[in-house]
Amino acid sequence: MNLDTLLSYEWGHMAPEFIILAVAALLSLLDLFLPKSYNRRSLAWIALVGILVAVVSLIGLLDSKSVSILHDTFRLDSFGKAFKLILLIGAACVILLAESYEPKEGLKEYRGEFYYLFLTGLLGAMVMTSSGDLITLFVGLELLSISSYILAGMRKKNPGSNEAAMKYVINGGISTAITLFGMSYLYGLSGTTNLKEMSGAMSAQAANGQFLYLYGLAFFMVLIGLSFKLASAPFHMWAPDVYQGSPTPVTAFLSVVSKTAGFVILLRIILTLFLTMPGDDTQKLSFLETHSIYISCLAGISIIAGNVIALRQRNIKRMFAYSSIAHAGYILVAISALGYFTFDAVWFYLLAYLLMNLGAFAVIQLITDSSHSEDIADFAGLYRRSPLLAAGFAVFILSLAGIPGTAGFIGKLNIFMNALMTDPGHFVLASIMIAGTVISYFYYFGIMTQMFFRPAASTEKIKVPAGIGAVVVLALAGTILFGVAPNTALDFLHNNFGSFNDFLK
Amino acid sequence: MDLLNSYQNNYLIVFVFLCLGILLPIVALFLGKLLRPHKPEEAKYTTYESGIEPFHDSRIQFNVRYYIFALMFVIFDVETVFLYPWAVAYDKLGIFALIEMLIFVIMLAIGLIYAWKKKVLRWM
Repeated sequence: MNLDTLLSYEWGHMAPEFIILAVAALLSLLDLFLPKSYNRRSLAWIALVGILVAVVSLIGLLDSKSVSILHDTFRLDSFGKAFKLILLIGAACVILLAESYEPKEGLKEYRGEFYYLFLTGLLGAMVMTSSGDLITLFVGLELLSISSYILAGMRKKNPGSNEAAMKYVINGGISTAITLFGMSYLYGLSGTTNLKEMSGAMSAQAANGQFLYLYGLAFFMVLIGLSFKLASAPFHMWAPDVYQGSPTPVTAFLSVVSKTAGFVILLRIILTLFLTMPGDDTQKLSFLETHSIYISCLAGISIIAGNVIALRQRNIKRMFAYSSIAHAGYILVAISALGYFTFDAVWFYLLAYLLMNLGAFAVIQLITDSSHSEDIADFAGLYRRSPLLAAGFAVFILSLAGIPGTAGFIGKLNIFMNALMTDPGHFVLASIMIAGTVISYFYYFGIMTQMFFRPAASTEKIKVPAGIGAVVVLALAGTILFGVAPNTALDFLHNNFGSFNDFLK
Repeated sequence: MDLLNSYQNNYLIVFVFLCLGILLPIVALFLGKLLRPHKPEEAKYTTYESGIEPFHDSRIQFNVRYYIFALMFVIFDVETVFLYPWAVAYDKLGIFALIEMLIFVIMLAIGLIYAWKKKVLRWM
C-alpha cells in the first residue's frame, strides 16, 4: 500500500479514538516521570478533559455519512456514533467518581494507573462500537477486558479486590475462549473476517442444512461467550464477587461502560451476520427468528435470577450486581423481540441505565467510603444526615425500579412495547419482565426504608466531594429530564441517526 | 449429511495420533524393560542432575523477578520476530508498513519506559 491510498482514508473520523489513545499515552508517561511527591489526583482532570474533547469531536462528526477505513476494520456509522456517545458520557462520569475515590488504605503509587486504565478500557469499547471486522472487534473486546481485570485488582493489599481480579481473569478468559472458538467457526466456514462479506457468504451457504447446523454452533458459542461479558444469567456467576470486591468506580465502570460495550458487540455481530441469513431450508424465516429463543431464554432467566437473588443481599454493591444482571435481562428482551424499534429501545435503555446507575454508584461510593463498610444498614437515616443526597438516591432507585416520571420507566416501557409489537408478540417475556419488576420493588424499596425511616447510627453531616456532586447532579438532571420529556433523547436519536439505515450497508 | 460426516472424519486423524501418542511410550518402556539387564544398585536410585550430587529439596520458591524478566524477554523477542520480515520485505511494503512499525515500536518503547521506571529492570 502506498502513501496516497493511506492518506486517502478519512482519518479525521477516528479523531475520538486518537484523542483517547493520545491522552492515555500522555497520562502514562506523565505518571512515570512526575516526581513521587506530586499528587496524581490531578491526572484525573486531564483524563476528563480528554474525554470531553473526544465527545466534542464526535459531535462534530454526527452529520457525516458512514465512513469505512481500511476495508471496514474501522467503520463509523450511525450505530457506532450513537453508542460511542453513551460510552464517552459514562466514562466521563466514572473518571469523576475515580477522582474522588479514596479507599481506606489509599491508592498510593497506583493512582495514576487507575486513571489511564479507564481510558484504555474506554478505547477498547469504542473500537468495538465502530468496527466491521471480527479481528478488530475481538482486539477491542480484549483491550476492554484486560484493562478491567487490572482495574478490578487495583486495591493491591485488599483481599476482596484480589479475589475479584482473580475471578474476573479466569471467567473472562474462559468466556473469551468460547467467543473466539465461535468466531473461528464463522471464519472457517465463510473464509473471511469482514462482517459484510461474511454475511454474504453465509446467506449463499445457508441453503445447505449442514452449513446451517455449523453456523448454529457458531452462533451459540459467540452468544454464550458474549453473555459472560453482559453478565446475563446463567453466565453471571462472576458478577457479584467482582462487583463487590472491585473499587467502587471500577464497579460503576463494569456495570455501565463494560455492559454497554457487551451489548454493542452482540448487536454488531449477531445482527450483521444472522439477520439476513435464512434460518431453515425453506428460507421463509431468518436465522434470528428461528433461533431467538436462545436469547429469550437468557433474558428470562436473567430477569428472574437477578431479581430473586438480589432480595437476599445485605451488601449494597452485591445487590447492585444482581440488579445489573436483571437489567441486562431487560435489554436482552429488546434484542430477542427484534423489531423496528429495537435499536431505539436498547439505546434509550442503556442511556437511562447509565444515568441512574452511575448516580446510584456515586452515592454508594460516598457512603461506603465514609463508613468503611458496604452493608445496606449504613444507609440508615441518610435522610437525616443529608436530605439532598437521600432525595437524589431515591430518584435513582425509583428510576431503577421503573416508576413513572423517571428515565428508567420510559426505557422499560419502550422495551415492553417493543416486545408486544412484534408479530408474534413476546407475551411470556413481557410478563416475566413485569413480574421481575414487581419483585425488584422489594429490594429497591428496602433501601428507601433504610434511608427515610430508620434512625441514623451517626448524626455526622456528609461532605460531598466536587466530583461525586457533579455526577449526582448530572445523573439526576438526566434521569428526570428523560423521564418527563423522553422525546428530547429520542428526537436527538432520530434526527442524527435516522433509523440506523447504514448499519448493514 | 456428507459435509458433516467428512467434517467429523477429520477428527479421525486426531484420534489416530492420540492412540499413537499413548501407545508409543507404553511400547517403548515395555520393550526397554524386556531388553535391559536388571541389576538394581543404590546409586541408580538417586536423582540424575547433570552429574552433580543432588542436594536439598527440588521444590523451592524461585524469585518472582525471573518471571518478569521472562515476560520482558518474550515481548522484545516477539518484537524482533515482527521486525525481521518487515525489514526484509521493506521495499514491497512501503511507507504504510513503516508507519505501522513506528507505532508498534513506540508503543513497546512506552512499555519499556514503564518497566524501567517501575524498577523491573533492577535486580532487587
